[in-house]
Amino acid sequence: MSQLTHEIRETARGLLRDGKVQVVIGYECGSLPLRSRPCFIRKEKDVEQLVWNSFCEPSLPRYLPKRKGSVAIIAKGCDSRALVELIKENQITREHLTILGVPCEGMVDRRRIESDIGHEPIINVEEKGGNLIVRTSNSEKTLTRKEYLYDHCMVCTHPVPVVYDVLLGQPQGLKGSNDTFSDVEDFSSLSPEKRWAFLEHEVQKCIRCYACRNACPMCYCPECFVDASRPQWVGKSTELSDTMIFHLVRAFHLAGRCVGCGACEQACPMGVDIRKLNRKLQKDVTDLFHYESGCSLEEITPLATFRTDDPEPCMVEP
Amino acid sequence: MKEPGKWEPKIIAFLCNWCSYAGADLAGISRIQYSPSIRIIRVPCSGRIDPLFILASLQKGADGVLVSGCHPGECHYLTGNYSARRKFALLKNLLEHVGIEEGRVQFSWVSASEGVRFAKVVEEVTACIRALGPANKLIKKVPGGLLDVSTHP
Amino acid sequence: MSKGETKLLQKERLEDFLKNLLNDFDVFGPVKKGDLLFFDRIKLVDDIVLSKRNTVNSGKDALFPQSEKLFAYRHGEKTIEISSPSLHRKNRVLFAIRPCDARGLLLLDNVFGGSLKDPYYCDKREKAVIIAMACDKPDPKCFCHAVGGGPCSAEGSDLLFLDLGDQYLVRAESSKGKTLLKNKVFQRMNKAARAKADRIEKEAEQSMNNGALKQARIGKDLEKRLETLFEDSIWDDIAESCIGCGICTYLCPTCHCFDIQDEAGQTTGERIRIWDSCQFPLFTQQASGINPRPSARERFRQRIMHKFCYLPQNVNLSGCVGCGRCVTECPVNLDIREVIQKISAREDT
Repeated sequence: MSQLTHEIRETARGLLRDGKVQVVIGYECGSLPLRSRPCFIRKEKDVEQLVWNSFCEPSLPRYLPKRKGSVAIIAKGCDSRALVELIKENQITREHLTILGVPCEGMVDRRRIESDIGHEPIINVEEKGGNLIVRTSNSEKTLTRKEYLYDHCMVCTHPVPVVYDVLLGQPQGLKGSNDTFSDVEDFSSLSPEKRWAFLEHEVQKCIRCYACRNACPMCYCPECFVDASRPQWVGKSTELSDTMIFHLVRAFHLAGRCVGCGACEQACPMGVDIRKLNRKLQKDVTDLFHYESGCSLEEITPLATFRTDDPEPCMVEP
Repeated sequence: MKEPGKWEPKIIAFLCNWCSYAGADLAGISRIQYSPSIRIIRVPCSGRIDPLFILASLQKGADGVLVSGCHPGECHYLTGNYSARRKFALLKNLLEHVGIEEGRVQFSWVSASEGVRFAKVVEEVTACIRALGPANKLIKKVPGGLLDVSTHP
Repeated sequence: MSKGETKLLQKERLEDFLKNLLNDFDVFGPVKKGDLLFFDRIKLVDDIVLSKRNTVNSGKDALFPQSEKLFAYRHGEKTIEISSPSLHRKNRVLFAIRPCDARGLLLLDNVFGGSLKDPYYCDKREKAVIIAMACDKPDPKCFCHAVGGGPCSAEGSDLLFLDLGDQYLVRAESSKGKTLLKNKVFQRMNKAARAKADRIEKEAEQSMNNGALKQARIGKDLEKRLETLFEDSIWDDIAESCIGCGICTYLCPTCHCFDIQDEAGQTTGERIRIWDSCQFPLFTQQASGINPRPSARERFRQRIMHKFCYLPQNVNLSGCVGCGRCVTECPVNLDIREVIQKISAREDT
């Protein structure tokens, strides 16, 4: 058991024993190799379920809006940023929340692992000193953990939580990446026709399951625009323009609010490159409004405010 | 003059009630001629515009969209157009980023007294979209479906 | 031991067989896109990827697509023209579908092809040949054996392939399958192959009970228990982590709920059928504002009840084929097997 797992369990144990929180939201081992999943611990004896490993991918802040009672939550860097945004949007009562910050070294892309080992059924995965030992029924492969991190983990700017009540683990030496949005610029360098063709190809895979939306910590609207019927803005079938508009508008609704946690991409069963749009908006929000989401409890979300000297988009000037 | 059978752009124009719509009205009263390409939708303020309006317009067959509001600092609701400016900047970039031609969705500030200018804005936008040709990206492609493409002049 | 006619297919001849299929049918089979395996339309033999793992989506898409245009209309000069592009499809083959997914089609047949026939499903189904590929190496997510199926089950298939290493054993399970077996690529069975096949089948079935594969008691006991536990507090947090997306239902081989959307302009319009999910809040949202299933608790309970209680009671078919997709594709790894175990183990209060 890793040191961090031990710390998480002990901290949770103390909080529950002292009655400081009613539930601890963390991760437990999943029922399959390469999986960890959210768990809700209410009893001291159950804290042994809590774990920390390279598979702790689902976003936990997603469970906080409208939740009543006192809660402790395990928060990686990106999760802590989501908490900041949710607090600013009054979806969380800060006083009822105990944030257990966990410095994160990134989560592994399980689908890429499954593909790289040839789609053989995986029986067991063991994490050992920077490596992942993947066992199938007739083979054992050792993979370097760092080579299998999710794309969004590779550009993570805040591996150490920005807000917390308790900071666990060893944050020293853990540095965020210098995110220059090179992925956005690479995409921009393609011709408009190529970009549209790429996105059409991606969006065609979408089956409108809304896992991306439901996994996102910032998507908490009681009625999502896709479910509106008077008027019905977006068709509900997988028709290309409807699906494209769903993704465009959802990305736009997250402008300045998306913290790049990648929960959307992790949730998508069809492998749609959802973050393509969010990354562009993230870059523009940085360039135009000098704002990085989830870093400050004081800074107002860019689309909820303005400056009289804001940069003008290209206007019609006859 | 429109030649029979020749395609002319259909542009949806969202005009804020207090400035741009009044400006368009002034153009009308002053008998200033401009291309009959725009179909005007009056909104109380440019800040009311939801990106869904713009995308829905493109989906239903508009060749272009024009959104026009009060000049910054002159908004009837004081700050609506400042909010709109931020949204437009992001939306415009996003649409161009996904490959929608630059120039399909345009923004302008036109005040109530700028009748002549409004006409010039419309002419410029129309010329731009005429050069781009009919829109073909976000249109709901359903043969025999929502968009009666065959009767598109 | 099935009585169907059995032949052998050398692996080098598989390509020829597939080429013949592509000539005569619209072929659907496992393909690879990026890191993932999908069951999708195939145009070239090279598109097919045969692997030990199942595809993300089940073959139900080929007969019951996510979005299907039921009909389109257009106001003509004096008449209204109506077209149904979804009907009168070409014959199709679902190649290398897994036994669990093939078995799932039997439930869809009951729903769409019962006393009230759905022409859109039936048109495709009648023209479809189901070629199943038996599993010799189960995945930790698989539990077909716990719901009355098996890794080499022939239920729902017209032709069943079993991988013997250098060749396939191919068995006809219906007259459609028998017709396909007439192809000259197939060779006569022999004793050695049959012995090997028996051994592989046995090993596959045994391995379903090993290691990480969990057992669950599914049957009449479970149906009764679910009925008595409907208002039990076990449902309060059994699915607390559920995020309410539609993945489990969309990818499930037996789930079949749909919504009808009418999309119309001034002179044209169409009626579209799309997948719906009991996990969406809107599923039971009433115009009055009341929602009889207001939270994930009720909606998740509904899924379990439907699959393991209502369907077995009403149509004598299991609502679950044990493919395990809802376990792997669920973003929070909610495990239906664990749920069933908890229900089974629940003390009578």
